[in-house]
Amino acid sequence: MKDTSDTAGAHFTGHGPEWKDAKLSPLQARAATAWVEAKIDRATLTGKDRVEDVRDLMWQLEKDGEIVVHRIRDEHQPVETKTLYGWTKRIPTEQLWHHKSCGQCGNIPGYPTSLLWLMNQLGTRYLDETDQTSCTAWNYHGSGIGNLESLACVFLRNFHQAYVSARSQGLPDGYYYPLVHCGTSFGNYKEVRAFLLRSAQLREKVKKVLAKLGRLVDGKLLIPEEVVHYSEWLHVMRNRIRAIQTVDVTELRAVIHPACHVYKMVPEDAIYDDEVLDGNRVAVSTSVVQALGAKVIDYSTWYDCCGFGFRHIISEREFTRSFAMDRKVTVAVEEAHADVMIGHDTGCITTLDKNQWIGKAAGKNAEIPIVADCQFAALACGAHPYKIAQLHWHASPVEKLLAQMGIDWERAKADFEAYLEAVRDGRGEHLYDPRRAVTSGPGAPKLVTA
Amino acid sequence: MTVLVVGAGPAGLAAAHALARVGEPVTLVDKAQRLGGAPILSGYAKLIPSGEWARDAIGGMVRRVQEAALVRVATTTTVSAFEGEPGRFTARLSDGASVPCAAAILCTGFTHFDSINKPEWGFGTYADVVTTTQVEQMISSGQGVRCPSDGRKPERVAILLCVGSRDRQIGREWCSKVCCTVSANLAMEIREELPQCHVYIYYMDIRTFGLNEDLYYWRSQEEFKVKYIKARIAEVTSDGNRLVVKGEDTLVKRPITIPFDLVVHAVGMDPNVDNRALAEVFGVGLQHHGYLARGSAYAGMALSTRPGVFVAGAATGPETIDDSIAQGEAAAIAALGVVRTSAVQAA
Amino acid sequence: MHATSTRKQQYIGDPLSQQPALDRARLEEIFNDIQSDARYDHELNGCLNCGICTATCPAAHYYDFSPREIVQLLWTENLEGIYDAMQEKIWACAQCYTCAARCPFRNSPGSLIMIMREVAIKHGFQSAKDVLRPFSRVMLKLISTGNQLSPDMITADHFADWGPNISKVDAPLKLLRAAIPMPTLNTMKTAWEVNLKTSIELYTIWEMTGVLKQLETIDENLFDVISDIMDERREDYEDWCESQGDNETRRAAPPEETA
Repeated sequence: MKDTSDTAGAHFTGHGPEWKDAKLSPLQARAATAWVEAKIDRATLTGKDRVEDVRDLMWQLEKDGEIVVHRIRDEHQPVETKTLYGWTKRIPTEQLWHHKSCGQCGNIPGYPTSLLWLMNQLGTRYLDETDQTSCTAWNYHGSGIGNLESLACVFLRNFHQAYVSARSQGLPDGYYYPLVHCGTSFGNYKEVRAFLLRSAQLREKVKKVLAKLGRLVDGKLLIPEEVVHYSEWLHVMRNRIRAIQTVDVTELRAVIHPACHVYKMVPEDAIYDDEVLDGNRVAVSTSVVQALGAKVIDYSTWYDCCGFGFRHIISEREFTRSFAMDRKVTVAVEEAHADVMIGHDTGCITTLDKNQWIGKAAGKNAEIPIVADCQFAALACGAHPYKIAQLHWHASPVEKLLAQMGIDWERAKADFEAYLEAVRDGRGEHLYDPRRAVTSGPGAPKLVTA
Repeated sequence: MTVLVVGAGPAGLAAAHALARVGEPVTLVDKAQRLGGAPILSGYAKLIPSGEWARDAIGGMVRRVQEAALVRVATTTTVSAFEGEPGRFTARLSDGASVPCAAAILCTGFTHFDSINKPEWGFGTYADVVTTTQVEQMISSGQGVRCPSDGRKPERVAILLCVGSRDRQIGREWCSKVCCTVSANLAMEIREELPQCHVYIYYMDIRTFGLNEDLYYWRSQEEFKVKYIKARIAEVTSDGNRLVVKGEDTLVKRPITIPFDLVVHAVGMDPNVDNRALAEVFGVGLQHHGYLARGSAYAGMALSTRPGVFVAGAATGPETIDDSIAQGEAAAIAALGVVRTSAVQAA
Repeated sequence: MHATSTRKQQYIGDPLSQQPALDRARLEEIFNDIQSDARYDHELNGCLNCGICTATCPAAHYYDFSPREIVQLLWTENLEGIYDAMQEKIWACAQCYTCAARCPFRNSPGSLIMIMREVAIKHGFQSAKDVLRPFSRVMLKLISTGNQLSPDMITADHFADWGPNISKVDAPLKLLRAAIPMPTLNTMKTAWEVNLKTSIELYTIWEMTGVLKQLETIDENLFDVISDIMDERREDYEDWCESQGDNETRRAAPPEETA
């Protein structure tokens, strides 16, 4: 065989004697493949006749009188989004009940505080309270202790509490809609919800437990219309956040680390948006970072996990740190030349942030600031890097990021250290009235009944 | 009375020709501006298994029908209503015409799977991820196989089989039948044009059925050194220069990450996007994947679920061009039966 | 992979082993426990052996582990192979669920592994005990409070590889926690303040769904410690309830009538 196609634009003649020029004009050739470039509605590609949408089961069960659905109502000011197959998912933007993340609150508390701070700036009503457990899924995925029923009960209990929480303020049931902070909780709750909707046997088992806890509504299980992740709220609020932006970030190169449990677990529920990377990658985080003006850079290990591994972060740390460094941090630095890596889940932020220090011991010297999307957004809107974004808990070089954003981090840090004195004297500031935090049980203010 | 043939791809052209040959008038409608169906409209290159250029092979069928006095051709036309009984149907066309017909044959074909529905495989994200149809185009237009991003000649090409086929994640639980052979064929054409280029085919199973085994599967290896790897690719990404493909070589049991210049999706055959509307208009059933349902497996291969309305070709499921032609002819003889019977009854 | 020294002795497919082959009835019992899980049929539909799961698996890059192999063992009902995989391999999975998002058959190897892990615990496998030992602090915290992680667990001693400073601002942990502007986070022993009533509710869930039983099988000492804590805290709660007297404050949400 001889390569005869050297001359640019010339027809190659490698096809043997039967070769005939098709003589399609460039226009015709273009027309012939136009279909592949046409903007298409994903909903026509993979409709519900092809892939099961458990929400259809949910509405049917509600109709049959088996369950009660915690609905997203007009008062929650929902914004419509499209998911992987073009299906609709409504994201509530008002009256939100914060379902916190144990890993965020324990390791990187600036994650939830930045979110609440943003909500304060935007005037979003919310409730953050103490009647709430972990989803217990980190432990489950790590150790195997727990089971489908226990996970389902925890899900139903916490979401029931979200449903009734407004009673402590003399407001009606369903007033607050749960907003899940943790990606694993988000994925796990969605998976468990699907099994609950599919299995009458499971519903029957957990109903006994929920009845004993007094956590049924009209004697029925309460199922949320949607399980909503905070990154989805951030996604639909991105333009409103941009409107209050005070710090220019256009020069920043950001890479996104998408979280496995956010978009690979129950993938049909993840948000894809035609305006974000043409709808070809999960939209959350990328959308808000782009809306704020930073450059989002692609990289070859985009789809890889962070290495957290649930049990690995605790007892297989070599795996965790090797994966985090080799497949994520190093690639972000050396291939993408990124200034910051932005994520939207607890374990990823922790893993990617905390493992850079030890990497050096193994000759892996790449380092990059790691923050959550809401922390980045809060910083861009002028949040205090230490009082609000709580960046002192981050081990990665966040100071570099602050410097690039034009934020005087040394002064901010000094501010914060001075502020600690005020905290020591009991003059600490809070994002909301602390009396609202305890809604029932020990420590709750007496319920005012009419 | 005429026989209405809907769709002028290989099946419809074959049906129209067969009926005209035995003296029956035919009304052939197609929604496109040109006749020929997918092989012509999508610019296929050399067909399997003949090796003839689509333009010649299907072009010949088009010409034959265009020259037939008994065939009335209506392009850019669809059927908006269809009613009556076998032997005396009336079809209303989108141009307002009313066509009395004894029988109808639906040869409405398929729709290429749109790879945008598998975002992890990079189509739509990277210019150098293309479909088999686009590669056919590159070849048939005479421009040669090039990387769309910069026009360079690829040195490493990966062809991913079963894109939009055999995939429950997206509700495509069928084999599209032709892609294995088509891909082997394209691989050989690429190797012929670009002898320096390495071509890899990633497969779950190789289904170059029947006589295609040695002509395509074996020959592509023996003569053209195309490499076959039993692996379904997990993701296609980019390191900024080249595409990066992640898979497991399942036979040697190792996860692999390999750079490529060009990644080709061997796209499957979806049910025609218009099938729901077609089923409504013609009062015929759909099978569970959304193709036109066959009325019987044995009583007659062209039967739909409605007497007097017949089906042929890829409208009923993934089909080769050869078999579509055979089915078109089978539908013609079935329709002819209705024409003759109703003529006897009317007399 | 950390050392599970039991592997050699228990390796039933090893022709060099002096150990007698494992009782078939036991193997079947283990497999039946896996297969009878409510999720099994939903998560395993067949296997095309395409390897997309292993291709995308982070653990497969670092361990002698392949989700495709696990699925094949289950699908072909290779009881000895399943037993062998449960000694070590199933613990390599990082539970990222990429395999589930990719599989053309819509299997979920990650979920199947969770079922196998649960069964390994139920049967008191040594592998499960070894794996769970470093987890005991986490489990103690989670089961007794309802909160997975606490600030005082993250110390330079326990996480030496995270660097010398847990916080870049040098101040006592308690003060730093108090400086978090969310009132629920001004805590030391739990990531957020979990109401006692909430923990008590969770205890009911643990009991009624068999989680405590799992724990007892795998770590009796830990089970005892946790049971004591639960008893104590339940008493505290009862005391508090009595001190309230008034039902209205005991529970903002009155118990529903059971169906």
